[in-house]
Amino acid sequence: MKKRIAFLALLGVVAAHPAAAHHSTTMFDHTKVVSIAGTVKEVHWTNPHVAIFVYGSLAAGGEPTLWLMEMTSPGNLVRAGGWSRTAVKPGDKVTVDFAPLRDGKRGGALKKITIAETGKFYTADIRAQERANLEEQPAK
Amino acid sequence: MRYVALLIAISATVWAAEPEKPIINPPPAARDWADLAKLPDWSGVWNPKITDQDAQARTNMPPWNAKAAALVAHQLAEEKAGRPPPLFVNCLPEAMPAWMLVTHNAMEILFTPGRVTLLGESDGNRLRRIYTDGRPHPDDPDPTFHGHSIGRWEGDTLVVDTVGVVPQAYIAISEAAGVPNNGEMRIAERIYLASKDILHVELEITAPRVLTKPWKTTRIYFRQRARKFDIVEGVCLEGYFAPGTDKDGNAIFVPVKHDVGGNRVPPE
Repeated sequence: MKKRIAFLALLGVVAAHPAAAHHSTTMFDHTKVVSIAGTVKEVHWTNPHVAIFVYGSLAAGGEPTLWLMEMTSPGNLVRAGGWSRTAVKPGDKVTVDFAPLRDGKRGGALKKITIAETGKFYTADIRAQERANLEEQPAK
Repeated sequence: MRYVALLIAISATVWAAEPEKPIINPPPAARDWADLAKLPDWSGVWNPKITDQDAQARTNMPPWNAKAAALVAHQLAEEKAGRPPPLFVNCLPEAMPAWMLVTHNAMEILFTPGRVTLLGESDGNRLRRIYTDGRPHPDDPDPTFHGHSIGRWEGDTLVVDTVGVVPQAYIAISEAAGVPNNGEMRIAERIYLASKDILHVELEITAPRVLTKPWKTTRIYFRQRARKFDIVEGVCLEGYFAPGTDKDGNAIFVPVKHDVGGNRVPPE
């Protein structure tokens, strides 16, 4: 319980700010891909955007710290990326490729997450999976 | 005597009122349910073709009036600069016609006697009721996010007319660019299967306060037919919160800080 509250405090959980929901993603620089390696701390499997918090270090080096990864909705991830609510779990050692926030804050739009132990990876590009009957065809 | 006069007055009122009150929701008969089997198969989960939405934002600009065109130009410049205007970040429904135009989420379509219902996998309250029982629009419908829709079948095409949408509802070309319709909007649609698992929604939007002439566009949806993918609940406001626990150990939703663009605020 204490640990939970401490973690929420770490995330900056405070009074609600009037914003959320459906938005463009140009606050992320999609021309860049940054990589981190670390441990999953929290998975928010929620609409309209799933979020994963990873405590890790940049592949380029540096001290480990907490990063926020944003994605599309649970429904879209299930259909287009083969995700499930438990595909990525707190405690998993992972590497993450993401488009970073332009403002330099520690967040990004997740492109690919790979689970170190199994090598299994998940992507989150719904535009790459715009086909009928996805389950009957090999994923792109 | 006064009592008799009152009875006569009441009777006269009832008689006069009767023709004004047609039954608009008659109980369906077995025949009505059987007739549904003659309609095309629109079952399954339908996803929007977002890459086509992206393309039309560049190639099929609505005929905006000067004021609306200036606003859209500003919005597109802001988005390009990495500051996307937050049109849909308040968790109110995207509404009509933006739901059909720019959604990224799935929908399903239900047929029942006298009605077609569209349910969207988002906002927690995204639904359209299209009455196909022959009723007209109300004379003065209460403005709603999805308006008042009446439809009729022309073969396997559902022809829909929608009025009564709130003036705040955006005519949007993307999640970051659009203009409120500002009232008097009318939306005509033709919805049909373009092929086995492709649904086309042809829209003609008339909005005299922001468009110089009606705007036509076709939006494309593709189907997941097998039962592997079901449509799921999508409550927009859920993203405001993280699961937590109160001092008594009860599971609660804890508000989460967001930035103006709609994302959770990254850790400091």
